[in-house]
Amino acid sequence: MKLPFASHQDNLSSPHNHIKQQITGKSSEFESVDRKSISLSEDPLPLDNYEIVNQFEEWDSLIGELGFHDDPAKSTYLSSIQSDVIPPIMPLFLNSDSDEFMTRYNIDNENRFDFVDELSQIAECFETQSLQLAHVILARLNQRLISPNGKPLQRAAFYFKEAIQDLLTGSTRSSSSSSEIVQLITAYKIFSTVSPIPMFSNLTANQTILEAVEVATIVHVIDFDIGIGGHWASFMKEISEKSEFRKVNSPAFRITAVVPEEYETQSRLIRDNLFQFALDLNIRFEIDFVSVRTFENLSFKSIRFLNGEKIAVVLTPTIFRRFDAGFVNDLRRISPDVIVQVDGEGLITSLFRETVMNGVEFYSTIMESLEASNRDGGGEWMRKIEMFVLFPKIIAMVEAAGRRVTPWREAFGGAGMRPVKQSRFADFQAECLLRRIQVRGFHVAKQQEEMVLCWHSRPLVATSAWRY
Amino acid sequence: MYSGIHTISLDGSNLGHADFVDATNFVGDPCLVLTTDPKPRLRWTSELHDRFVDAVTQLGGPDKATPKTIMRTMGVKGLTLYHLKSHLQKYRLGKQSCKELTENSKDASCIAESQDTGSSTTSSTRMMPQDSNDGFQVTEALRVQMEVQRRLHEQLEVQRRLQLRIEAQGKYLQSILEKACKALNDQAVATAGLDAAREELSELAIKVANDCPPSVIPIPSLPEVAAYLENGFAPSIDSCLTSHNSPVNSPAGLSPQASALKKRQRAVFSNPSGQANRMDDVWIS
Repeated sequence: MKLPFASHQDNLSSPHNHIKQQITGKSSEFESVDRKSISLSEDPLPLDNYEIVNQFEEWDSLIGELGFHDDPAKSTYLSSIQSDVIPPIMPLFLNSDSDEFMTRYNIDNENRFDFVDELSQIAECFETQSLQLAHVILARLNQRLISPNGKPLQRAAFYFKEAIQDLLTGSTRSSSSSSEIVQLITAYKIFSTVSPIPMFSNLTANQTILEAVEVATIVHVIDFDIGIGGHWASFMKEISEKSEFRKVNSPAFRITAVVPEEYETQSRLIRDNLFQFALDLNIRFEIDFVSVRTFENLSFKSIRFLNGEKIAVVLTPTIFRRFDAGFVNDLRRISPDVIVQVDGEGLITSLFRETVMNGVEFYSTIMESLEASNRDGGGEWMRKIEMFVLFPKIIAMVEAAGRRVTPWREAFGGAGMRPVKQSRFADFQAECLLRRIQVRGFHVAKQQEEMVLCWHSRPLVATSAWRY
Repeated sequence: MYSGIHTISLDGSNLGHADFVDATNFVGDPCLVLTTDPKPRLRWTSELHDRFVDAVTQLGGPDKATPKTIMRTMGVKGLTLYHLKSHLQKYRLGKQSCKELTENSKDASCIAESQDTGSSTTSSTRMMPQDSNDGFQVTEALRVQMEVQRRLHEQLEVQRRLQLRIEAQGKYLQSILEKACKALNDQAVATAGLDAAREELSELAIKVANDCPPSVIPIPSLPEVAAYLENGFAPSIDSCLTSHNSPVNSPAGLSPQASALKKRQRAVFSNPSGQANRMDDVWIS
C-alpha cells in the first residue's frame, strides 16, 4: 500500500521501508533529513502535510495495516506527523499513563508521546528487577529519544532516559574538566538571569538565615548544596551592610560545604572567589569542604565547630535521602539555630516509577518556564542550562529514587522540629523578584509556612525553615 | 485635613478640648451637630455614630451597606449621602486595618496597640464621652495611614536590599567565570594544542608511510610543532598540514581532522571572554 507522498520522496516507496530506514539509520542521516523538512523541523520524517490531509480513506487502511501497540517503528512514524487533521484513530496507543499526561498538558491527539509510556515501563522494570527487559525497552527508547529536541516534555524525557541508562549501565558522568566547569558556570549565570528559580531559592533561604543569626559574633553555615557558591556572596554583602548600619563589627563567617566526590576544581574556585569577596567586604572568613562520603561515615564529627557560633544548616531533599535515620538526631545534637530546606527537585518517593513520572513532569515544567523567558528565540543557552544545571539534578533524582527512606517532612516532624514562619521581608522580596523578571506565569504561594515559587500553579521550588 | 476640628494634632496626642462641647446636644435626640466653623461640617457624635453602626450592622456589615440604604435606615434628618459616604469609608478603613493588623507581624500590632492605648487614655481623661468616637475614628485613620506608609517604606527597603543582593551575586558569578575561563585557557594552551598537533601528525605520518615514499613529504617534528604553537604560529601549522594533504591521499580522510585541529586552535587562541559564541567552539570540539 502506498501513500501518495510528495515527489521529492520518491525513494520512500512505502511507509514500511521508510520506517526500516529510520530504525537502522545513523543519527547523521536524521539530521540531514531534518534540515530538508520545512514545517516538521523537529521530526525525522519530511512528510508533506497537504498530501496526508487528503488521504483519509487510505489513512484508515494504513492504520489498520500498521497495526499493533508494541510496534515502536510505527509509533514513531505516526507520532512525528504534525498535522491538524490526524484522524481520531490514534487512540490505538493509549494507556493510562499517556492519558494522565494528555490531560495534564492538554496534549492534542496529534502529538503522541509514547516515550512517556516506555519510560514508565522501564522505570517499572527497576521496581520488579527485570533488568533484561529494561535493556530492551532502553534500546527502543534510544531510537525514539535521540536528542534533547522537541517540546519540554520530550526533552525532559530524554534526560531521564539518559539518567536511567547511566544507572543501568553503571556509568557515571564526571563534569570536572576545566571546559565543562566553564560551561557549568556560564549556564548557571544565564539561569540566574533568565529564571527566578535560583534567585528565589537562594535569597529566601538567605533571608531566613539572616533573621535567625541576628547579633551573632560567628556565623557558621553548613551547606549541603553549595553549587558554585553565589548565594554566599550576597549573604556576605548583607551581613556587612547590617553591621555597618549598626556600627558594629561584622561577625566572622564560616562555611562548611558538604560536596560530592571529585569536586576539587569547583572547590578551589569557590574558595578563592569567596575569599576575595570577604576580603573586599572586610569580613573574617573561612571555608571548609567535606566530601559526602566522609560525612556519611562520620556525620557531624567531620565538621569543626567553634564555641558561641550560630549555626545554620542548608539541606535539600535529595541530599537528605542519602543519610540514614540517625541524621535528624545528629542534627539536633549540634543545636542549629535554623535549618533551611530548599526543595526544588520534584517529588522523590520510594517508588521508582512514580519518581520518574513525577520528575519528567517537574522538569518539563521548569523547561516550559525557561522557554517563556526565551524572547529572542535563541535556544543555545537553554540547552546549556538543561545540560549543565538540570541534567545533574535529574541524575541525582534517579539515583535517589526507589530507596526506602522516610520522607524528610515526616522525619523532621518525628524529630520534633517546628517550622519557622517566613517574614514579611521574605514575602516582599519574593514579590519584588517576580516583578523584576517580567515574565508572566510565575507566582508565589504560601502553604503552611513554606514559600513556594510556582509556574502556572505548578510548584517549582519550595523553601521552608525549621528549628528544634 | 482636620482643620475644622481645632484641637486635634496629627500625632493624635492631645485629643479633645472643652471648646467642642458647646454646640453639642447629645442626650437621646438624633439631631445633627455642626461645628462652629465658617464652613459647617457634621460632627459625628457617639450617639450618631452608634445609630450609624446599628444601621450598618442591620444592613449586613460595612461592605454590604451603601450610603443610600444607611440613610434610609438611620432616618436622621439633614444627613446627606455625602456625610454618609465619607463616614462609611472611614469606618470601612478602620475595620480593614483592624483585620490587617491582627494578621501582620507582632511589632506592627504592638505599635498600633500602643497608639491605641495612648489615644484612648488621653481621650478618656481629656475628652467628653461624645468625642471618644471621633477620636477613635481619627486614630483609626491615622493608624491606617501610618500602616500604609510603613508598608511602602518596607517595600522600598526590600527593593533596595534585593538589588544589592542580586548585584553581589552577579559580581561573584562574573568573577568566578573569569577565573574558570583563565584556568581553562592556561590548561588548553599547555596541553590541548600539543595533544592535537601530536595526534594529527601521527595520523598524517601513518598515511604518508602507507601511501608515499617517505622522502617526498617532510613533516615537521613534534618539537617544531610545539614551538610553532607556543609562538602562536598556528596558521602555519594548518597550512603546513593541508599543503601536505594534497599529494598524500583522499582529502576527505584528512580534512575533517585538519578542520578539527583548526577549530581547536581557534578556541585555544581566541580570547575567552566568556561570551556564549566563543564557548560554543569549545563545546562543539
